[in-house]
Amino acid sequence: MPGLAPGDSAGGGPDSVNGTLVPYSSDSHVSAIYPLRHGLNPPISRVSVSWGRGNSLRVSVFRQPDSDPKSDGEVGGKVVEVTLGKSRDGEISDAQWRKIAYGSVSPFALLQSRKNSTASLSRMQLSPSPYHLEWWEYVMEYSKDIGSLLGDPKTALATLIEDPNEVFPKKVEEPSSLKAAWELMEMFYVDKLSQAWLPERLVDWLADYNSLISIDLPTVHSKLVEFQNQIVTLQVIEDDPRYWDLISSALAVGWLEIVTENGLVEAVAVLISKMPRMRPAIDAGKIGECFKAKPDFVKAWERWRAQITKLDSSAFWIQCDHRQTREGLKNMLQIMLGNVDVLCSSTCHWMELYISHFLYIRPFTAGLESMYSLAQKCFRLKHTSNPHKLMRLMIGILGENNEVVLAECSRGFGTWMVAHAIELLTAGSNEADILVHEEREDLGGISLEELHRLVYAQLLSSHLLTWQIAPIYLTSCMRQGMGLLEILLLKQPVQENQMLLKNLEICRLYELDGISSHLMEISGMYHWKHGRKGCAVFWLQQAHDEVRLSGIASQLFDSVGKSISGESFKQWEGLIELLGSEGQLAGGLDFLHKYRDFKKCLQHAESRKDADAARQAVESLMSLMRNASTPQRFWLPILYDAVKLLSWDEGPLINVGQTNLLLNKLQELSVARLRPDFVEAELPTQALNHVRYSLATNLGRAILGEL
Amino acid sequence: MEKSLATLDNGTTCSSWNYSGQRLATGSVDGTLSIFDSGDPASTSFKCTSKARVGESGVVKVVWIPPLFGDAVACIDGNGSLSLWEELAEDAQAVEWKHSKSFQSNSAKVLDVQFGVFRTILKMVVAYSDGQVKVYELSNPLELKNWQLQAEFQNLTDSVAKLAKASCFSASICWNPQRGDGQELSFVLGFNSDTPQLNSSKVWEFDLDHQRWVPVAELALPEDRKDQVFSVAWAPNIGRPYEVIAVATHKGIAIWHLGSNPDTDGRLSVERVALLSGYEAEVWQMEWDMSGMTLATTGTDGMVRLWQSNLNGIWHEQAAFEPTT
Repeated sequence: MPGLAPGDSAGGGPDSVNGTLVPYSSDSHVSAIYPLRHGLNPPISRVSVSWGRGNSLRVSVFRQPDSDPKSDGEVGGKVVEVTLGKSRDGEISDAQWRKIAYGSVSPFALLQSRKNSTASLSRMQLSPSPYHLEWWEYVMEYSKDIGSLLGDPKTALATLIEDPNEVFPKKVEEPSSLKAAWELMEMFYVDKLSQAWLPERLVDWLADYNSLISIDLPTVHSKLVEFQNQIVTLQVIEDDPRYWDLISSALAVGWLEIVTENGLVEAVAVLISKMPRMRPAIDAGKIGECFKAKPDFVKAWERWRAQITKLDSSAFWIQCDHRQTREGLKNMLQIMLGNVDVLCSSTCHWMELYISHFLYIRPFTAGLESMYSLAQKCFRLKHTSNPHKLMRLMIGILGENNEVVLAECSRGFGTWMVAHAIELLTAGSNEADILVHEEREDLGGISLEELHRLVYAQLLSSHLLTWQIAPIYLTSCMRQGMGLLEILLLKQPVQENQMLLKNLEICRLYELDGISSHLMEISGMYHWKHGRKGCAVFWLQQAHDEVRLSGIASQLFDSVGKSISGESFKQWEGLIELLGSEGQLAGGLDFLHKYRDFKKCLQHAESRKDADAARQAVESLMSLMRNASTPQRFWLPILYDAVKLLSWDEGPLINVGQTNLLLNKLQELSVARLRPDFVEAELPTQALNHVRYSLATNLGRAILGEL
Repeated sequence: MEKSLATLDNGTTCSSWNYSGQRLATGSVDGTLSIFDSGDPASTSFKCTSKARVGESGVVKVVWIPPLFGDAVACIDGNGSLSLWEELAEDAQAVEWKHSKSFQSNSAKVLDVQFGVFRTILKMVVAYSDGQVKVYELSNPLELKNWQLQAEFQNLTDSVAKLAKASCFSASICWNPQRGDGQELSFVLGFNSDTPQLNSSKVWEFDLDHQRWVPVAELALPEDRKDQVFSVAWAPNIGRPYEVIAVATHKGIAIWHLGSNPDTDGRLSVERVALLSGYEAEVWQMEWDMSGMTLATTGTDGMVRLWQSNLNGIWHEQAAFEPTT
């Protein structure tokens, strides 16, 4: 599965674990070994693991127990936690990550809901209203929303300050490779409007992100930065061959502003600034003449090239006696004339050579196939053994290999990227759409799209501050999302009321009633065991946990039965209130009071052989048995208590009618006991027979007495 | 990359995290059970908040009881006896870890214990050194005191056969980490013993109609049936049409798929989809992550290894961690 190994994630950098999910490396897989520092003195006797939230793995390391008394106080073990699939290279801080994670929720959710409504429209075979946008336009909106979260890199070459000490402008914000990758995906798969001028978009893209790929290899950008550091020591800048070299390089990759604003001969500067560009518009501060239509552009391009050729062969060069200037300018003309050798020597990175081809040799390149073959050519000319992750992504895109694109998104930019960029990929290609939505047996019946969302949601679950947005992604997964959401919710601690309420709210939102009851039961039991009996009863009632509630009611019953002092009764009073609020569960307060009265009278009657008390007890008994609120499961214990009254020595206390009522109750009880949910009272096994016998005897006595 | 969560006392031998990863229970050679808490859910620093002496000999294993039954653990001590402890605050007194139940056994030692919940009933499976397996049921969900012995059997595919007393060194039990109430109650169990028939991992399912436990699958190829099993782990299933179970023997870690529809004999189809070898060490422990996609293992080489399947269903070692000073 993608993106689980540490560092194998957003900005994993060149040290990313190789081979995650890359289809072509499944056999030759060699896993990376990471050190896990625990700081214990050897010897280590055992290691154990446990998964925490989401992707966090907790490792306990135990030292061999020390019997040496001198080493008393030595630490016996350490527990450390590693969160897998998390960025390690620090390009994006944890806080920024969370900002991106939270920010992408609503664009994602909006797109999903649009997808659902579009799907239902097409199911109903309704054509979308003419005011509706095309699907790619929705994805474009999504892409722009997400892109804006990733930072704004448009500062890299925005302005050129006249101060000669600042050849290269200060960047307000470092561009991130995540943003760069997102823009690549957007321009190739979503932005249909810019398809016609894709080469020019790549020129802009490289200008924005050239600094990123200079991490491992020299680029025009890194040369500029290096030169800028030395510039203060130079007297006449034009004397330095490096200056001309750099200006040519900047020209080759299309950074025309840098070239024209650094004191060139007027004629050349004007030519450069009039360079025809096949694009609808150009940002303020940038130069070139824009053409939207190809015929206009072709005409302008030919005219422009003719002017360059003319200048190249003019007499000006004979008059120019500053050798470096002359050679530098001639070189620049060769660049503009599309001299491959000069372009090749003026550029460092294959991507720069590639861009220069678009600018000066093949401005009409269109279609991925020809772009790919051109990229291959440039790649051969400036081969690198360990290409940057952005370049690997680019090759995947140009090669139209959707599997590689997904794999590179995952391995180079992490689980967030792949989960969100799938929307871009599928907007641009039907094959990609089939690829990511196909249900795969090897993945337990889910699609790639679902897999990547699950993996991302699991990463979100790893952190206390992000787990709450995981449900958004999980509920967008048709097959296994709800399963994972249930597990996620069941792992949330419920001791804190605030947290419990939050979890219950999530359950309510997604109609997870079973999970909600389970959480309330856990909470109820936690409070019960911790002496907060009121809280416990409350949550158990909310959960409709009849088994535990009747267990509690039974404890109450015992306590009322055992002690008539009223002291312990008071202790339970709050509970009785609570239990009584729902009536049918425990019979209510009314019942318990009646039962207490009954027990009191019974005790009086028994201890003093007091007939009045006994008659009172009978009244209480009848009142209890007539009362609908007396729980059925208490009937037998009450009747069992009443055996003493039934066998009253001085004659029957309970008349025929009353006895019949009690017998009916007993009959009802016998039927109820057959039901599977019936809870037996804790009484001697013969209790029922005993009661039955006593009732029958009493009936006989009562009939005789009434004759 | 790694973050320190807790420091353990000298003599600590085992540890176990509760369901939410918010509490850690550890056992030590002197028979002490220690509980670690972080205080604040956002904090990742865990401190010992209570200690209880749970036995004369050292604690060798601590297992949390499902949270539906309170905060409680089962401890197995060096003599192989089993006791249950729970956190209670009675009658406005301070919270304390109290003894709730001990299970005495005449000669056999308890090797492993695991808990499963079926509807509202808590079930406990205990594997003994004489090869016996006992399943207990908690009578009253409000307290851990009263347990009923529901079944007693041996880990054999032929449930009628009986073997003479065996001598087992270790056992590994894992319940099916099911969520819904609809599923049958089941667990997998393997032994490391001198009695070949007992060893191989078998999946036991409770037959509600006949109220008995029946073996529904054996997770070993015919030639591997005698292999001693070091550890078993049943993966959470978030929606696959089959179950995934990992079984570790000296040949490596086998990943099994277990079908869900029984044949006419009531057996479930099984398929070994991978044997992760090249892993010389004896496996101590295996744990699946919450999605059941990644398996973490530890073993005698001291390494922590992570295993995953790629998109083509091929299992491989994804990463490894080497604990160092």
